[in-house]
Amino acid sequence: MSEMVTINIDGRDIQAAKGENLLKVARDNGFDIPGLCFYEKITPTGDCRLCMVKIEGRPGMVASCLVKVEAGMKVTAFDAQLEETRKMLADVLLSEHNDDCITCERDGDCQIQDLAFRYGLDTPKRTFASIWKEIPQAPDSTAPVLFYDSSKCIKCERCVKSCFEIQGKGVLSMAQRGIHSHVVAGTGQWSGSECDGCGECVQACPVGALMEKPVYGGKLKKKDVQRKVVTTCPYCGVGCQLELWIKDEKIAKVKGFDSVPNFGACCVKGRFGLDFVQSPDRLTKPLVRKEGKLVESTWDEALDLVARKLGAIKKEHGPAALAGLSSAKCTNEENFVFQKFVRAAFGSNNVDHCARLCHASTVAGLARSFGSGAMTNSIAELENAEVILVTGSNTTETHPVIATRIKKAVLFHGAKLIVIDPRRIDLVNYAEKYGGLWLRQKNGSDVAWANGMMNVIITEKLLAEEFVKTRTEDFDALKKVVSNFTPEKVEKITGIPAAQLQAAAHLYAKAACASIVYSMGITQHTTGTDNVMSMANLAMLTGNLGKESAGVNPLRGQNNVQGACDMGALPNVFPGYQAVTDAALREKFEKAWNVKLDDKVGLTVVEIMHQAAAGKIKGLYIMGENPMVSDPDLGHVKQALEKLDFLVVQDIFLTETAQLADVVLPATSFAEKQGTFTNTERRSLWVEKAVPAPGEARIDWEVIRDVSTRMGYRMEYNSLEDIVNEVNKLVPQYAGITYARLMRGDKLQWPCPNPEHPGTKFLHRDKFTRGLGKFFAIDYIPPAEWPDEKYPFLLSTGRLLYHYHTGSMSRRTVALPQYVPGPFMEMHAADMKRLGIASGEQVKVSSRRGSIVTEARESGRVDTGSVFITFHFAEAAANLLTNDAFDPIAKIPEFKVAACQIEKINP
Amino acid sequence: MKRDKILKQYEASGDNLLAILHDIQDASAEHYLDDASLRAAADYLKLPYSFVYGVASFYTMYSLEPRGKNLIRICQSPPCHLLGASTISRELMRLLGIGFGATTPDKLFTLEMTSCLGVCGVAPAMMVNGRVYGNLTRERIGGIIEDLRRVK
Amino acid sequence: MSVYRTHVLLPVDEGTAQAGVFEVKRRLEKELKARKLQDEIKVLESGSVGIVGKGVILAVYPDRMYYFNVSEDDVVRIIEEHLLKGRVVAGLNHAPIAAATAATAAKKDAKVGLTREQRRVVLDKAWTVDPESIDEVIAAGGYKGLEKIFTEKITPEAVIEEIKNSGLRGRGGAGFPTGMKWEFTRKASGTEKYVICNADEGEPGTFKDRLILEGDPHRLIEAMTIAAYAIGAGRGFIYIRGEYELSIERLRKAIAQANEYGLLGKNILESGFSFMLEIRKGAGAYVCGEETALIESLEGKRGNPRVKPPYPVTNGLWQKPTAVNNVETLANIPAIISNGAGWFRKIGTDKCPGTKVFTILGHVEYPGLVETEMGTPLREIIFGYGGGIKGGKKFKAALLGGAAGVFLPEKLLDVKMDYESLKENKAVLGSGAVLVMDEGTSIVDMLFSIAKFFAHESCGQCVPCRVGTHQILDIIYRVRQGRGREGDLETMLGLAEAMFRSSLCPLGQSLVMPVKSALENFKEEFTLAISHAEKP
Ligand SMILES: Nc1nc2c(c(=O)[nH]1)N[C@H]1C(S)=C(S)[C@@H](COP(=O)(O)OP(=O)(O)OC[C@H]3O[C@@H](n4cnc5c(=O)[nH]c(N)nc54)[C@H](O)[C@@H]3O)O[C@H]1N2
Ligand SMILES: Nc1nc2c(c(=O)[nH]1)N[C@H]1C(S)=C(S)[C@@H](COP(=O)(O)OP(=O)(O)OC[C@H]3O[C@@H](n4cnc5c(=O)[nH]c(N)nc54)[C@H](O)[C@@H]3O)O[C@H]1N2
Ligand SMILES: Cc1cc2nc3c(=O)[nH]c(=O)nc-3n(C[C@H](O)[C@H](O)[C@H](O)COP(=O)(O)O)c2cc1C
Ligand code: SF4
Ligand code: SF4
Ligand code: SF4
Ligand code: SF4
Ligand code: SF4
Ligand code: FES
Ligand code: FES
Ligand SMILES: [Mo]
Repeated sequence: MSEMVTINIDGRDIQAAKGENLLKVARDNGFDIPGLCFYEKITPTGDCRLCMVKIEGRPGMVASCLVKVEAGMKVTAFDAQLEETRKMLADVLLSEHNDDCITCERDGDCQIQDLAFRYGLDTPKRTFASIWKEIPQAPDSTAPVLFYDSSKCIKCERCVKSCFEIQGKGVLSMAQRGIHSHVVAGTGQWSGSECDGCGECVQACPVGALMEKPVYGGKLKKKDVQRKVVTTCPYCGVGCQLELWIKDEKIAKVKGFDSVPNFGACCVKGRFGLDFVQSPDRLTKPLVRKEGKLVESTWDEALDLVARKLGAIKKEHGPAALAGLSSAKCTNEENFVFQKFVRAAFGSNNVDHCARLCHASTVAGLARSFGSGAMTNSIAELENAEVILVTGSNTTETHPVIATRIKKAVLFHGAKLIVIDPRRIDLVNYAEKYGGLWLRQKNGSDVAWANGMMNVIITEKLLAEEFVKTRTEDFDALKKVVSNFTPEKVEKITGIPAAQLQAAAHLYAKAACASIVYSMGITQHTTGTDNVMSMANLAMLTGNLGKESAGVNPLRGQNNVQGACDMGALPNVFPGYQAVTDAALREKFEKAWNVKLDDKVGLTVVEIMHQAAAGKIKGLYIMGENPMVSDPDLGHVKQALEKLDFLVVQDIFLTETAQLADVVLPATSFAEKQGTFTNTERRSLWVEKAVPAPGEARIDWEVIRDVSTRMGYRMEYNSLEDIVNEVNKLVPQYAGITYARLMRGDKLQWPCPNPEHPGTKFLHRDKFTRGLGKFFAIDYIPPAEWPDEKYPFLLSTGRLLYHYHTGSMSRRTVALPQYVPGPFMEMHAADMKRLGIASGEQVKVSSRRGSIVTEARESGRVDTGSVFITFHFAEAAANLLTNDAFDPIAKIPEFKVAACQIEKINP
Repeated sequence: MKRDKILKQYEASGDNLLAILHDIQDASAEHYLDDASLRAAADYLKLPYSFVYGVASFYTMYSLEPRGKNLIRICQSPPCHLLGASTISRELMRLLGIGFGATTPDKLFTLEMTSCLGVCGVAPAMMVNGRVYGNLTRERIGGIIEDLRRVK
Repeated sequence: MSVYRTHVLLPVDEGTAQAGVFEVKRRLEKELKARKLQDEIKVLESGSVGIVGKGVILAVYPDRMYYFNVSEDDVVRIIEEHLLKGRVVAGLNHAPIAAATAATAAKKDAKVGLTREQRRVVLDKAWTVDPESIDEVIAAGGYKGLEKIFTEKITPEAVIEEIKNSGLRGRGGAGFPTGMKWEFTRKASGTEKYVICNADEGEPGTFKDRLILEGDPHRLIEAMTIAAYAIGAGRGFIYIRGEYELSIERLRKAIAQANEYGLLGKNILESGFSFMLEIRKGAGAYVCGEETALIESLEGKRGNPRVKPPYPVTNGLWQKPTAVNNVETLANIPAIISNGAGWFRKIGTDKCPGTKVFTILGHVEYPGLVETEMGTPLREIIFGYGGGIKGGKKFKAALLGGAAGVFLPEKLLDVKMDYESLKENKAVLGSGAVLVMDEGTSIVDMLFSIAKFFAHESCGQCVPCRVGTHQILDIIYRVRQGRGREGDLETMLGLAEAMFRSSLCPLGQSLVMPVKSALENFKEEFTLAISHAEKP
């Protein structure tokens, strides 16, 4: 806290923090000084001049938004001259403004309108003739999500600065000058700019100049808003808090809500991509397969059928013939109920979910190294790290709001960014331009560069000796392995020049606090667990753990993948990572649930598919997953699912997977229910019901409860609260995240062991969860498949900002497909030239497992010899090509490396 | 290619933007900065496109539109105004048949107004492609335009 | 360097170039060679002499004789008559050679005109030396100040002290004491510091800096090096308006020569002090003359002025301490260091020592440029140097200090031209432009032109200036067109005053000066325009 001082405004003494913004202080204390350009989230611009005040000892008037509070300041906020000047300014400003409020969406929610009202500037009372019509205008409606009306723009630059200072992008600028000045994106057109549609600028605009396009339906005036609902974004693991404006029981507009973790920011999906909720494709009735076709049925009929069929399989083939896939899209409570359903009603531990395809290696690896497998720190801490090493995370696209922290650290706090990624992702620019580094490794060589960096750090004595000595074990083993990885040798394996590796090692090791951020580029390998433990090794070696802004930070992908894991939707652990093989723990759950529990570790996602194909799994219940697009080697997945005796899919859409089901159950989406999501920083966030469920869609946990009961294992949850209470009792990390606290709006980070506990910002402060941190000596193993003569290209898969996974949600929106309508493949210009392929041309891509046809697009991101395909598009499904070889420990498939060949279709 | 050569002469540091834009424009036959040039400069300096556009559109010496072979900039600041700049301006518009900011259909002339050129001693004055013409009179203008037309 | 008996100087500037100075030069050299005089008589280009509208000018040294409107055909006669026989070519053929006047002849010889004796400090070498020859510049005393500092081991603090003692004030318009500015910059924390020369010269009616740049670029280099040494800067920039092509070219050459001679660059004069000097071209924006806008522009951005405080002396270029000085200000430095603060103080007035370069324009006989002592009465500038009102008409008003200036009526003709005296009379010295208007001038029309200038040059950042300039333009346009309305003048003045109070930078604050002075001193003209307006 900074020092409190006394200042005086218009005769009243006021306490304020020294250095605080004077306009804010005045306003907070009830002095309603006008001002349009001031926006608390950005640095003050001071160009509307409405907030002028007089300060004793300073000549003339000063813009209070540019003044920092100092002790003893004597301020005149209101006197005749000030008000006359302000009125004059308002009058002048209005003359430049096209005030046709009648049709303006901001009517009633507009700061210049308020200003005109305040100073009584009715049209006939204005002194200055309207001149806006004489000014050439530069409107721009080329962006898919917003439009700019320069005739309503007051040139306050809030948008320009918000894009840069909040989002770290800087896409906007003012153009021209004088009366002609206006906002511009790109070289004059929004559509040709780097704008990614986050809408931060729209949110910052105080008037109707920058507006959302009506992606949720028609135009919206604030007075027509029925209610505003704050909830958690259903897309990625950042967990942005969003404010949904509801009109006619529909989402009509979305704003970023100003609280942890996003503080008002969000990305294009959160703001403009929620209309899937009201898509006509939503499932509204249960479907039952009759004569090969899915037809509508009643809930009773469908639930009975499910219970009967699954019960029969269990009876005939035993519990091991049943499996369930839970959902990282669903709430904690739903996941808790689902895994309990599999464990208690099916009687096996065959429950898993997409975390298997995602951060299974993180959970396994970090549990071994530290004792718990989650982000060690919180999102906000990133902004204060000295060095941020980002590897295998395309943060700007996949965790956009976390990326803003990284960008801001670099742009405004002097942090250095090290990006280690085979592709030239956006963050590379922030590394290169601001004194950081980009290391471009060969895919799948992460253990090698990590060992190489540690080699340099140990050789040059840059290690944190004290930390290594007191807080870790098995350093000698590490040292031995690492000694083989000289920079020169590493250069041969990874392709990273030795000097660059050394530079990165120096930069990382010398920082007082350095944070590693990683994601799928590290985890989705046959060596995923090794890769993860290598990151842990690197951080421990340099003492970058157990303190603020340092650490190892795996960015969890799905909105609630952290929670689904925490809730035990995993085959080896009960909720709270309590091993199913531990008799004492098992007993605890048996007692609580009043049922006998299986003591064997269950099957993982990929194993379930294999076993189904082998005829050993006969019944499968899938809640909120779309493996027919998201699992590796789809040809094989299809065989497996078709081989099943009975498949239940509970989803919000008739997905590719649901189309194969025997029964499809319509679920409510995030917008139609309550519960909690746990975001990537272990923070439990409330999900609030905003709109009614479509048709007969039902809440996932209620459906599971009913199926379970019908199968003979009675569940007696009457409300969400009942489930939360049970979680509090059984999951130590969540013991203190009570219903009452959730209702109060607390947003707590686990571990939170009791109702008084404030939650845990960063882990391993004084000791690791497992006691001492453990070094693992890891050798480099190449990927399972590597390009050869027949399949000469390295295929890597991943994501785009504008789409989400299997596209079930993002492709059912108005805005997102406008950015990226369909599938394509990133390819290097030199390779395209060599093969005679033009950008935009359709090509056939084949691997040992299958082939797809997609558009080849020239890209500066991939290296020669590599191509990149997203798995968002079922019509050109990347997973027909991917290799389902998996990591022996975490069983995660190698989505990031496969070999493929590329052929021109019309040679 | 020429553009790349210009870029390479400068360190990729933002403060070189104005100089780069000058050079690119000087190398352009049509005295202007096209979209591709703005993007090339932005990419080279790692600046957002809008930033470069914002800069290029701020300064009057740059143009984002193609201009004629002869760029006539006539000063309209008070000293030149006092000595008859508006008469000269009108005469120019009459002779060329275009208004300010426009280019003749034959692409020979572009007419722009400018603030003081720093040659007010010979007011009223104008600049044609960097060359100063001072002590202008209505009578002289015709001859100057004729001369410019003749030079191929 | 061989010694020549006679120098023939050909001032080169935009005007003389257009009039054919290079043709004259070529012919001269040819004819001299033909007469084998090339080792006796040296022909050289010099900077502008500040006389405009007189065609090609040719000066003969040491004879101190000017010829105006020289054409190629006059060359032979000048050689035969003057250079060989020492006779002024006067009576021969009057037509092409209009006048031949001694440059610094005694006052009694020339009472009027720009060739009358001036007090030249900053323009001291501007027409006597070849600006593109560092040898000549050095022979004529260039870089003496810099040498003195290093041979006499004068400390940076002492340099600053000397400048403070000299009482030198900024010539860029605001008149801020230069020594103080340097001291602030020197004392500001940080090791990376910069000096910037403001050569953006955009104030309408001003071209004094151009003549210094064209005529004596080495003086500026010497001055900036001294400034850098004094404040502890390693890098300096000359921000020069893009139109000044000749200045830029000369500066380029001069910088290259100075670097080559060890007077600039690494380890200057073996002193251990290094200073890198670069030229940056502006691109057409008056507001970039404002120091913080200039800095933004130098950084490669839009020329938006920054909010002050903080000032450049602590947060300048790239937020580092920076001293921004005008060309003319800097041009005084070498002389002050060489001759001492005491010498300088003897020139000009007590509070404004030194000289000032004025540009005299508009309805005068001899428009052009003069350097004279601070405190010279306005009347002398207009009627002495400027030769009075053109065509024998009557004086009406003078606009002092450029567009951001003040209309002075006849009753103030005797005001002394220095910061203090002008301030007492609610006027400003500004850039030193003196725009003279005769009895036939419409002040309404002039104010319209000024408003148009401001509207065109507003950066557009802040509301009062962006929109206010246009509203004032709108009103004055109406009034000028005979469509004025009751209350227009009050509205205009009220708005100008509000702009003064609330604009973000001095550009928007200064429109009030011409508006107010026009309305105060020439009110009838405006009220007449309105009362004669066609009523609807
Ligand atoms: N827009 C959007 N956001 C999402 C998702 C989405 O589908 N769309 N999905 C969410 C989910 S579930 C997840 S898991 C996250 C995933 O988020 P990310 O992991 O960031 O996304 P990916 O695109 O899979 O790949 C990340 C990066 O790994 C790099 N990479 C490839 N191979 C290697 C390698 O061998 N080593 C290293 N070090 N890097 C490599 C790729 O070039 C890429 O930049 O995103 C979440 N956020
Ligand atoms: N080639 C390749 N494949 C990959 C990856 C890769 O990088 N490359 N990444 C993998 C990763 S990291 C992941 S996480 C997986 C993701 O794989 P999936 O989880 O299979 O993908 P999603 O499309 O997110 O599927 C979620 C489903 O839940 C539904 N849904 C949404 N909300 C609700 C709800 O409230 N209730 C119910 N019942 N259903 C709901 C959606 O409609 C959608 O069908 O993909 C993996 N597959
Ligand atoms: C709108 C505006 C235009 C200016 N133009 C110039 C200019 O062209 N040249 C200049 O030296 N100073 C100009 N100035 C003054 C500079 O801001 C600054 O005061 C000056 O360069 C400081 O140098 P000095 O102390 O040597 O005078 C201008 C100021 C304003 C407000
Ligand atoms: S922006 Fe505000 S004042 Fe302007 S038309 Fe819209 S509501 Fe009215
Ligand atoms: S939508 Fe986002 S990226 Fe686009 S201009 Fe606005 S703030 Fe910038
Ligand atoms: S678009 Fe809105 S936020 Fe941006 S400058 Fe205009 S009024 Fe301000
Ligand atoms: S960053 Fe993630 S959580 Fe935030 S709005 Fe975007 S998709 Fe939603
Ligand atoms: S006063 Fe005018 S020039 Fe200065 S900042 Fe405001 S708009 Fe720009
Ligand atoms: S709010 Fe302070 S100037 Fe706009
Ligand atoms: S006023 Fe026209 S050139 Fe200066
Ligand atoms: Mo994921």
